[in-house]
Amino acid sequence: MQFIIVGIGGQGILFTSRVLGHIALKKGQKVVGSEVHGMSQRGGSVISHYKIGEYNSPLVQKGEADILLAFDQMEGLRNYDFLRQGGSAVVNVHDPEHFENEGLKAFFKERKISLHRMKGYEILKEHMKGNFLFLNVLILGAMCGADLGGVSLDEVKEAVSELAPSRFVEANLKVLDLGYQAIKG
Amino acid sequence: MGNEAIARGVVEAGCEVASAYPGTPSSEILPAIAHFADQLGTSTQVEWGANEKVAYEIAVGATFAGKRSCAVMKQVGLDVAADPFMTSANFELNGGLIVVVADDPGCHASQTDQDCRYFAMYARIPCFDPCDAREAKEMVFSAYEVSEKYRVVTMLRPTTRVDHCRQDVELKEALKLDNPAHFERRPYAGNIHFPARLDRESIPMRNQRYARIQEDFETAFPQYNYEVPAKGKASLGVIAGGICFSTIMDVLKGLGREDVSVLKIGTPVPLPLKMVEDFIARHDRVLIFEETYPVIENQLLDRTKVMGRWNGHVPMERELTIDVVKEYLLKALGQEESVSPSLQKFEKAQEELGLFVRPPRLCPGCGHRPSYASIRKAFPNCIVCSDIGCYSLSKQQNAIDTIISMGASITVASGMYLAHKADGKGTDRPIFATLGDSTFYHNGMTGLTTAVYNRHAFVLGIMDNSITAMTGGQDHPGSGSKMREGEEGVVVPLEDAVKGCGVRYVKVVEAYELKDNVQVVKEAWEYARTHEEPAVIIFRHPCLTKLKVKQEQHPVRVDQEKCIGCRYCIDFFNCPGLAFDEEKKKAYIDERFCINCGVCPEICPHGAIVFVKEDDE
Repeated sequence: MQFIIVGIGGQGILFTSRVLGHIALKKGQKVVGSEVHGMSQRGGSVISHYKIGEYNSPLVQKGEADILLAFDQMEGLRNYDFLRQGGSAVVNVHDPEHFENEGLKAFFKERKISLHRMKGYEILKEHMKGNFLFLNVLILGAMCGADLGGVSLDEVKEAVSELAPSRFVEANLKVLDLGYQAIKG
Repeated sequence: MGNEAIARGVVEAGCEVASAYPGTPSSEILPAIAHFADQLGTSTQVEWGANEKVAYEIAVGATFAGKRSCAVMKQVGLDVAADPFMTSANFELNGGLIVVVADDPGCHASQTDQDCRYFAMYARIPCFDPCDAREAKEMVFSAYEVSEKYRVVTMLRPTTRVDHCRQDVELKEALKLDNPAHFERRPYAGNIHFPARLDRESIPMRNQRYARIQEDFETAFPQYNYEVPAKGKASLGVIAGGICFSTIMDVLKGLGREDVSVLKIGTPVPLPLKMVEDFIARHDRVLIFEETYPVIENQLLDRTKVMGRWNGHVPMERELTIDVVKEYLLKALGQEESVSPSLQKFEKAQEELGLFVRPPRLCPGCGHRPSYASIRKAFPNCIVCSDIGCYSLSKQQNAIDTIISMGASITVASGMYLAHKADGKGTDRPIFATLGDSTFYHNGMTGLTTAVYNRHAFVLGIMDNSITAMTGGQDHPGSGSKMREGEEGVVVPLEDAVKGCGVRYVKVVEAYELKDNVQVVKEAWEYARTHEEPAVIIFRHPCLTKLKVKQEQHPVRVDQEKCIGCRYCIDFFNCPGLAFDEEKKKAYIDERFCINCGVCPEICPHGAIVFVKEDDE
């Protein structure tokens, strides 16, 4: 299983890959991945690679990712070519019109990519007083809602409870459910 | 994480003194050493040095007293530590010393693409080049073995993808070395370098030692240097150094090619030459992947069969990512990848949807932003010499003019001043130097002392967020905190350090007070100009990534009537919370990023950014 996680520095992307890694290690799976630290973390484009299984390199090749999690639709747009034929994307959407682009639609269709869209900012505004730092957990919930990544919502909940600072655990679990519902409906 | 794996290795291997200065991609190593030392209950002394030279010399000192020690830095850090590094390479050390130097191929967070394996070759010391986190940890033990066997400083050179890779790693207990500190006087080639004896004794010793290590590397580490043979006759041989081995193995697996044999090299300096020559002899053509310079390649005496950087088969620049390796491997195999029609559609969609480059920039609410804005507001045409740190990102707000190396803001400002002075006219444009608190402790004080002594007129703005922010928030002499549990250091107050350098004009201001600070900036320049000496303003605001309590909230909005679309706020403040609507030609607040710091109303020349009054909501 190969993941690409993209967004903007400061959105909490590292936590998402930590959760995925935590779950994989618990299951006794081998993991290897690559993160971004330092300067690029400050508000620029950020990309995390994550591979579960028998791999050597921490980087995912273009056209080989199973799943792309995009914290921002423009960062998604920068990286959809990482997805393999039949891969899946979970995208936080702020401008739905974007996905009406003919070329993009054709690309998704030809690559048989299943696209899961979620209006993350609206959800967090409505339910979490606009605290957008919960986006990382929301997207994990959405991934489970789309039945992707080979992890269950319960596994993610358990991992988040173990990794998040205790005072945020309750809120995080609530956001996971919000993300799950956003896709599952 | 790779850096944690290295740290774990350092503690397990019984290192007792570890010193570092943070720098991406190496920054997480030292805090992790402290963490594991606490966890395993070792007596390891773990400390930040004010800079890499300091850190390196501390590690050498501990080695003189017989301890296993290590110094950790990024590649540019070794440039700072080059003086003691080069000299200590001529010594026969008393204890094990490793220097962990993290290179950054692709310059993700660096000002150079340098390959420190060359530095090892230059100093004639051995170097290990890990292919992943697991191997990096194992190599720590091997590096100490080699260091103690040959009494030589030994380099472990991970690259960014090893440092920042996440991987499962096996853990062990810490070695308990019965090795109490003892220092013996050994005047030559031991603890003192002495020119008269150097050429006759130390340098021949070093050169012979290097040759012996080279011989040893032919067979000593089959776990790092080995061949993965092709099935049947190989159509190509690949030599892969460090992380490139992991990359090529995944590429070959992805392509399903079993007709390529791979020679993995984990000890590139000195190169096990016979092993490599034997591999080359058995293949018609051999492609070499290594980062970032041709270090393995250049140690080969006969390159006729070698496809590498010297003849354009591997790119001279760029990180060798998995996609690049695949591209050049396929080229070497005589295959070209064609661009599929669906990819062409995708690229067209990217263009139509206006995909833009999103460079890193200062966080919303960062104190550096208004500090720079106050300088530019006071003197729009001033020259601002800047430095290495988060504030380099102020380039995005058109605030800074030069960046070289740590501390160079001050010395470059001196040079600018002297260039104008040489014309006999004085400066027509005010000169500013700006650097952060950690950078000031790192390498600012020598330059500032020089400027005071020689009467250089400029204003130094110290962007004080009380932490080493860019690398993730490490402590330094101004914060006084230490890493091991229960240890506290002594705070060296920034104002005192500045005054200690001889500066007579020092003002401390709150960075958010943009309006008042414009006046302070003007006064400071007037002082510097008329007194012909540097004036210092300390712009203080805590780093927002380290805030423990939420700061006061002052929501703002852009009055769409008053906004004339001049883009001043975008071009000269450049906050992620401020966006520009290209259709309406008006600025607006992007709620996704704004943190309500309430500073930006002051920046708009037309008063269009206004506070949201509570009754508006």
